[in-house]
Amino acid sequence: MHRLYVVPTLIINVVIIAIPAALTILLAFYRWDGISTPVFVGLSNFEGLWNDRVFWRALTNNLIWTTLFLTVPIGMGLLAATMMLIARRGSTFFQVIYFLPIIIATAITARVWQGMIYSPITGVLGLLDRYGLELSNPLTQVNTALYGVAVADLWHWWGFLCVIFFAALRQVPQEQVEAARVEGATFFQLMRYVLLPGIMPTIALMMIMTIIWSFLVFDFVFILTQGGPAFSSEVLSTLAYRSAFYDLAVGKAAAVSLIISLFGIVATIFYIRIQAAEIVE
Amino acid sequence: MRYLFTTALVATGLAGSAMAQENIDFWYETANPDQQGWIQELLIDGFEAANPGFGLTIDYRGNELDKQLRIAMLSGSGPDVVLTPGPSYVAPMAQNGQLLSLEPYAEQYGWNAGILPVFLEMGRYDGTLYALPKTYETIGLYYNKTLFAENGWEVPETLAELEALADVMLDAGIQPFSAGNSTWRGANEWFVTIALNSVAGPDNVHAALIGQIPWTSEPFVEAINTLKGWWEKGYFSENYFSIDGGEQAMDLLATGQAGMMPSGTWQFQNVPTYFDQAGTEPGFVGFPSADGAPVFALGVGSTFSIAASSDVPDGAAAVIGHIFTPEFYSAMGSQWQGEWNMPLSDLSGVAMAETVLPLYTEAMANLAASVGEGSYGYTTWTFLPPATNNYLINGIEEVWLDQITAEQYLAEIEANFQSEMAEGKVPAIPSR
Repeated sequence: MHRLYVVPTLIINVVIIAIPAALTILLAFYRWDGISTPVFVGLSNFEGLWNDRVFWRALTNNLIWTTLFLTVPIGMGLLAATMMLIARRGSTFFQVIYFLPIIIATAITARVWQGMIYSPITGVLGLLDRYGLELSNPLTQVNTALYGVAVADLWHWWGFLCVIFFAALRQVPQEQVEAARVEGATFFQLMRYVLLPGIMPTIALMMIMTIIWSFLVFDFVFILTQGGPAFSSEVLSTLAYRSAFYDLAVGKAAAVSLIISLFGIVATIFYIRIQAAEIVE
Repeated sequence: MRYLFTTALVATGLAGSAMAQENIDFWYETANPDQQGWIQELLIDGFEAANPGFGLTIDYRGNELDKQLRIAMLSGSGPDVVLTPGPSYVAPMAQNGQLLSLEPYAEQYGWNAGILPVFLEMGRYDGTLYALPKTYETIGLYYNKTLFAENGWEVPETLAELEALADVMLDAGIQPFSAGNSTWRGANEWFVTIALNSVAGPDNVHAALIGQIPWTSEPFVEAINTLKGWWEKGYFSENYFSIDGGEQAMDLLATGQAGMMPSGTWQFQNVPTYFDQAGTEPGFVGFPSADGAPVFALGVGSTFSIAASSDVPDGAAAVIGHIFTPEFYSAMGSQWQGEWNMPLSDLSGVAMAETVLPLYTEAMANLAASVGEGSYGYTTWTFLPPATNNYLINGIEEVWLDQITAEQYLAEIEANFQSEMAEGKVPAIPSR
């Protein structure tokens, strides 16, 4: 009888998530412009993607993005969280400051970076230019466009990890920290032998979520460069969006979405295995 | 007691039916508060005054209107008056029975004679009229008249003169072309349109659009290489990817930091603001071509149609009829230039307010005359199918940044065009 309590949420889940997801998976094997009737084309969408250099560029960019986000914000977050743990006074104030970028709507953050920081006319780079320090706008160069977008997103994102890690660090038993201090551990020894092992499950979870979210990244790329210039900052989700809404090729967009989900599923499987291994311990 | 109650009920019922109006829905894109005020005053109030018994409701859906429309029309729950995003959408929508034929209304409101024939052709699918353009536009060359006078420069008429003048401007430290695509990547298509029409010529573009010659033909290769040459010489600012091609570009032109601005007639809405502020005088001419005759590449912004699922088709047609009159053209055009340039065949009844830039009225009259004579070019966003035009926008950056050659770029455009042509996605191309 108590199983019936699951039914309402299950209905919502099925209608809003499961059915559209199933339809998207199906659409990946059709050709559809969003207006007329879909036409079955088998694996032709995937074949098209295999031969499409823009797709491979987008996939490479997603992998670069994942690598960046697995290292930089996690490292910065851990460092800041540990320092806040040690210097308790003022930690609330710093938490608020670090968390602020997350609260601001991504569209606004992206526009501010585009118009007030990176712009060589109206932004900080323009100001530096007028003082003689010539720096080109990273968003306009093929080699640096993706990194320019990544810097804006990193600024926006790292505070979130910092707050999560700080919460996790506070859960580490005080006795262990005290014991290490008493035995004369330095800051780095404290981190390596007591704190990091203590919050390993949180770090693992954040890494898996970072992998999943890195393949979903869309808003900063779309607003700052729209995948340009010359496809250099294209990612899988901007490719899917453009295919569906500008090229009127919904089947191709569904195929790209399927590939994005594949990476997410692989990451989730890894996470579940790690979790299962921990439970066995 | 019961008697009183019944009388009250009957009275309310009668009053209700007296107030009953047929309501017409119209979804519009973006409009700032001033513009919404003009729509309220001129379109809604004006229409309702002239057509008692009909009420008009306008819903502002923003930049994503076309995507919302597509989904709404699929489920039959869209608006009555449909603002389709352009001729390339008319074919698939008409094909799927989402639009109502406008033929009977064309008879009733006299559109067959009152609208320039080339636009009637563009709104047809399979011989039947489904859409009328809200505004038609072209691309030309804006320039800073004051700057030209100060330096003794003459307005270029041929491409050779244009390039010579641009070189002089570069030497003087002035940006030849004020342009940028930071907020609207689609700005790229303006310059490809110019290259294709001014260098390759409208006849060749027409032949390619109907599939007679491939897009990889020699005239187009020359056109793209010319455009690439302009980029490499530095005519487009090195900050092209950082500049906003609308208001910021206009500001750079007005303040004399740039000398010329190849852009469309939609930019007239920004001319008064920035040129008045800078205290300089604007100029506008058709874009130079090889032989000196200006080429007016024709563009259609959005189109009006009636949804097949509408329950007030006569009302919707009346709204469209109200818009396609010289009176509405004068009233709306006096306030809001560039966006409500309906292709009326007879502009003699149009009287613009004195506050309107004479430059604008003159430019529109020139355009109407050229189109009437059949001498016009083809903008890529109006005449190319969606995926082809989309690649055109993104791919030209690859050419500019030396990632691919002009030939490879055109080969990919040709491949996209052929596959979309096979799927019937190419819009109606009027015969020359």
